[in-house]
Amino acid sequence: MIEFKNVTKIYPNGVVGLKNVDLKIEQGEFVAIIGLSGAGKSTLIRTINRMHDISEGTLTVDGTDVMTLKGKELRRFRRKIGMIFQSFNLVTRSTVINNVLTSMVPDMPWYKTLLGIFSKEQKIAALEAIDKVGILDKAYTRCDQLSGGQQQRVALARTLNQNPSIILADEPVAALDPITARLVMGDFKRINKEMNISILINIHHVDLALEYADRVVGIRAGEIVYDGPASEVTQEILDEVYNGKSIPQAAKE
Amino acid sequence: MNNTENINKVALFDRIFKPQHIVLANGHEIDRPRSRLPLIIICLLVVVFASIQLTGFDIKIVIQRFYQLEAILGKIFQPKWSFFNKVTGPLFDTVKMSLLGSVIGCILALPFAILASSNVNKNKPILLSIRFFLSVIRTFPTLIVANVCSLIFGLGTFAGTVAIIVFTFGVVSKMLFESIETIDMGPFEAMESLGANKFEAFWSACIPQILPTYLSHCLYCFEMNIRAASILGYVGAGGLGILINECIGWRDYNQLGMVLLTLFVAVFTIETFSSYLRKKLS
Ligand SMILES: Nc1ncnc2c1ncn2[C@@H]1O[C@H](COP(=O)(O)OP(=O)(O)O)[C@@H](O)[C@H]1O
Ligand SMILES: [Mg+2]
Repeated sequence: MIEFKNVTKIYPNGVVGLKNVDLKIEQGEFVAIIGLSGAGKSTLIRTINRMHDISEGTLTVDGTDVMTLKGKELRRFRRKIGMIFQSFNLVTRSTVINNVLTSMVPDMPWYKTLLGIFSKEQKIAALEAIDKVGILDKAYTRCDQLSGGQQQRVALARTLNQNPSIILADEPVAALDPITARLVMGDFKRINKEMNISILINIHHVDLALEYADRVVGIRAGEIVYDGPASEVTQEILDEVYNGKSIPQAAKE
Repeated sequence: MNNTENINKVALFDRIFKPQHIVLANGHEIDRPRSRLPLIIICLLVVVFASIQLTGFDIKIVIQRFYQLEAILGKIFQPKWSFFNKVTGPLFDTVKMSLLGSVIGCILALPFAILASSNVNKNKPILLSIRFFLSVIRTFPTLIVANVCSLIFGLGTFAGTVAIIVFTFGVVSKMLFESIETIDMGPFEAMESLGANKFEAFWSACIPQILPTYLSHCLYCFEMNIRAASILGYVGAGGLGILINECIGWRDYNQLGMVLLTLFVAVFTIETFSSYLRKKLS
């Protein structure tokens, strides 16, 4: 469970990234976070694995107060949280399997990392992760020869290979064409349902958010302005999230 | 910082040479800055003229003494083949010096280049002191380094090797840190997000991106070193340079021709092989 209690995040330059955020996400939920660019979606997601620090309030993940972590504990904490990026963040000149194997590196002794030695079991596990996203036939292909959708799947396989209980995805389909975007969203949905992994996804395609996510969080200027089931999102709510018109009181709760 | 400097310069130029003002039919306006080319050409001409005056370069002397060059070249192009036996030993020394010097220099350059890259090393004082150190190293001309080394370590190939190490270190670390600064840091971020420490993240995400460029820089530097090493004998650092020096001293241009021919074949072979490898890497 992820719980934000009155969380505020102020960047060193004074920009308010998050303002008094209260949010509770149970294990296994599929949450889409929507909002204009600059609204604070990335900031929200990045505080969860402490890629960003928060300034006020408390943020707990499975009972751990995230702000108390440091050094080794923080890195161990991050092992169970996967992260997916808009730009995939793969080593494009390496093969698919080598990219997926990198997620095992933090569990290995330093000399094995240095020499790049992976065990047979690790290789099989990596291949299984690649199979789960349906590109097993590409396992030994260099990533720069894959399409955008396939590269995002490699990133997904890399994340699955670390056995996370939470996946944070920052605009994972923004760089993909509409059809590929749907395929990748489908992968997220399947992983969410089959493996009970919580998924938080930043997305600015509202239609995709409503179609694939169970719950929608609308964020505007660092504040949560909507939080509810995807099925109950109305045009008024979207106007509030995107244009800042006030929501009719009834729709708010 | 560079940017603001540039902007200031541009502004100064445009203040003196006013931009051309263009108004479209619909009233929209744009300033077309004046071309800088005429100014650059004038500057170049001034510099060339000044250097001719300063160095006392005289085209008449070149023409008058041309027969000398002709005579020397004539002999050089008739190499004394029997001299080849004497050439192989020093040639081998030269190759040995440049190979060993290149390998050691390249290995030393790697950690320094990493620490000199602003995207990896966030510690400003360390970054700047490493860069300062590297520029100081690059300032020493190889011949001077070789000369000093032969004073310290005595005449011979060891002094030459040290000189080449210093040269290689300076060049490769500079080329490498400039390439490191252009790599994609996304994979590094991904590694940190999944619980890797800085070393693990760097090793898994950045090294695979750097490695081909690094090896290619190393090979390129090795090519340069073969040529550089042949001259080092001049200051007593071993290798072909000693022979070249002797031949010129005795005015034996037929022997000199043989030395140069051997050197040419060696350099050509190694460069061809090395460029082939570099092409494979990219
Ligand atoms: N590292 C940073 N330093 C300062 N301000 C930042 C930083 N990152 C983001 N911001 C600011 O915080 C606000 C929220 O940004 P972000 O979370 O990236 O929005 P989104 O992901 O919704 O587009 C923006 O105003 C942005 O300019
Ligand atoms: Mg963002």
